[in-house]
Amino acid sequence: MKKYSAFAIGLLLLFSILLSACSDGESSEKKSNDDDISVGVLLPVTGNNATDGKDMLNAMNMAVEKVNDAGGVLGKKIKLEVADDACDPQTATTAANKLVSQGVIAVVGGYCSGATLPATGVFHNANIPMIVAAANSSELPEQGYESLFLINGLVPDQAKTGTDYFEEQGGKNIAIIHDNSAYAKNLADFAKGYVEENGGKVVAFEAINPEEKDFGSLMTKLKALNPDGTYFTGYYAAGGLMVKQFKEKGVSGSFMVGDGSYSPDIIDIAGAENAEGLLVTATPTANFIPGAEEFVEEYKGKYNLSPGPFSALSFNGMNLLVDALERADTTEADALIKALKETENFEAIGQVIEFNDTNSLNQSNFHVMKVENGDFVLEK
Amino acid sequence: MGIFLQILIDGLVIGAFYSLIALGYTMVYGIIKLLNFAHGDLYMIGAFIGFTLLSFITGDGGLNTSVLGIGMIFVITMILVGFVGMGVERIAYRPLLLAPRLSILITALGVSLSLQYTSMNVWGASYKVYPISLPKNGFEIIGAHISYSQIGMILLSALLMLGLRLFIDKTIYGKAMRAIALDQTACSLMGINVYRIISLTFFIGAFLAAGAGIMSGIYYGTVNFMMGFIIGLKAFTAAVLGGIGNITGAMLGGFVLGILEAYGTFYLGGSWKDVLAFGILILFLVFKPTGILGAKEMERM
Repeated sequence: MKKYSAFAIGLLLLFSILLSACSDGESSEKKSNDDDISVGVLLPVTGNNATDGKDMLNAMNMAVEKVNDAGGVLGKKIKLEVADDACDPQTATTAANKLVSQGVIAVVGGYCSGATLPATGVFHNANIPMIVAAANSSELPEQGYESLFLINGLVPDQAKTGTDYFEEQGGKNIAIIHDNSAYAKNLADFAKGYVEENGGKVVAFEAINPEEKDFGSLMTKLKALNPDGTYFTGYYAAGGLMVKQFKEKGVSGSFMVGDGSYSPDIIDIAGAENAEGLLVTATPTANFIPGAEEFVEEYKGKYNLSPGPFSALSFNGMNLLVDALERADTTEADALIKALKETENFEAIGQVIEFNDTNSLNQSNFHVMKVENGDFVLEK
Repeated sequence: MGIFLQILIDGLVIGAFYSLIALGYTMVYGIIKLLNFAHGDLYMIGAFIGFTLLSFITGDGGLNTSVLGIGMIFVITMILVGFVGMGVERIAYRPLLLAPRLSILITALGVSLSLQYTSMNVWGASYKVYPISLPKNGFEIIGAHISYSQIGMILLSALLMLGLRLFIDKTIYGKAMRAIALDQTACSLMGINVYRIISLTFFIGAFLAAGAGIMSGIYYGTVNFMMGFIIGLKAFTAAVLGGIGNITGAMLGGFVLGILEAYGTFYLGGSWKDVLAFGILILFLVFKPTGILGAKEMERM
């Protein structure tokens, strides 16, 4: 009796597996053919960088909603599949594989370069085009992936903007600090090169652990070196603490941070009086872009907060994809990649998108921002 | 000379945090031979409970942020987290006290992750900025700038450690803890309620970690749910460096590690400081495996 029932259960299990396998196959086929165009979104929606990640997601949702309300693209609606990379290379690889298995036709996103790098490899192997909205390590285009497009200015552009500013202000002795992440290290290396090219001197080239909170002894070291300017290339959580401790220790010169630290959070963390005069190299937030007023208003109305540093870029990235889909007239990968590549004078918020032969922007979009009265203003 | 003193103070501040947390590791290890990896997360929970209570009094609560109010919040938070520590012991560790060491070690890792992600769900994943901050002013002494808040942090942690020392040495409970560290079976035969004393040990460990948590929140200004991980690891190192199971050793280990890191940062650079600190730890373990103060015959605790 026992034996029979075990056999019966076994058979049942087998059938159910077969059945579910069949239905799975059917449904996924259906998904890619009829219902919607599913587009992958790879962003850190948890972890240290969740604030920026969510801002980017909001902007993408806004773009998609607009397109869908206007009747969609190629007669279909766009559906976003969000995968969380948590700004971590391993999580990003898993997330990328998940998107591939969900059958997305293209991916928009990418915030931390360290996490985006391995993910681009996954998409490249699956021949899925990706538009990178924020991440901008020069290692990304160096991979030479035909399917990878970058719409944010690259790291060398940013490093040059920052170091040129120091030079204009008469700063010769520059201290550079990074946090050992792929992106920050990359930016720091370029900054070092440009400082030396400008005839300045890099008095300190330091790395910190972004998980730690105490940079007291590092600031003591900087104070002893008397720099004219200090450039931190990492992210805002550590950046804010560093600005605070920089001011408390009374280190000389100005403090500049890279676009990883371009977030109102850095002012909160550092404290408004410490953040006063803080310099940021970044692509300006929508608030500072002429002609973006409509976008800002709509974003504020929808999410009840101001757009983040990469909201406009994310919005642009999604719209660029829609534009390319229309031009390609298909969701087929090769045609879509070709259409993206052939993008010409795509007028987006704060930038005109056109790709050079490494699939990155023809024109850099970096500026120097400054904190005044607890808010960012355009400095140069 | 000024620089030398400045770095010493920098190192003492971070060392004070390491010491307070290392005490919890070392006490629990001394009494039940468990490496409580969840301990760093009690520090994090302390920082968050302190954050919530402080936000309440500085926000719409209507109470003044007087020194007295902040002091009360310190004590309330430390007691609350003390109970969390006791709860963790009761739920996760006590049923496993007689199980193989490995099971309880893995449980400790599980508790650590549970605490981290519970607090992520309760307080959110992003960085929270503490509602109060310390004054920036300080004084100059032979070229070193020392702020009052640095002195305050070092004194406060020294006070807590002194209190602990007195508790262990002078009270009947302290005596019971020392006795259990020596021989549990004999203690229960002598009529000591072993479980209650173990519970008390967890309470005190969590109590101190929570104190460090709020101090860190006020001093550095931010808290987030991952903050207990790295510092827990460092504090564990400090406990081993000082001689695990030895209370004075944990205090000393924390300060030694903090100072090593500070000098490492200054003379070798930020990316080398951990290499220096951990290199010295390895040397210690090779040549004196019991740590600075640990000795085989020595009475643990």
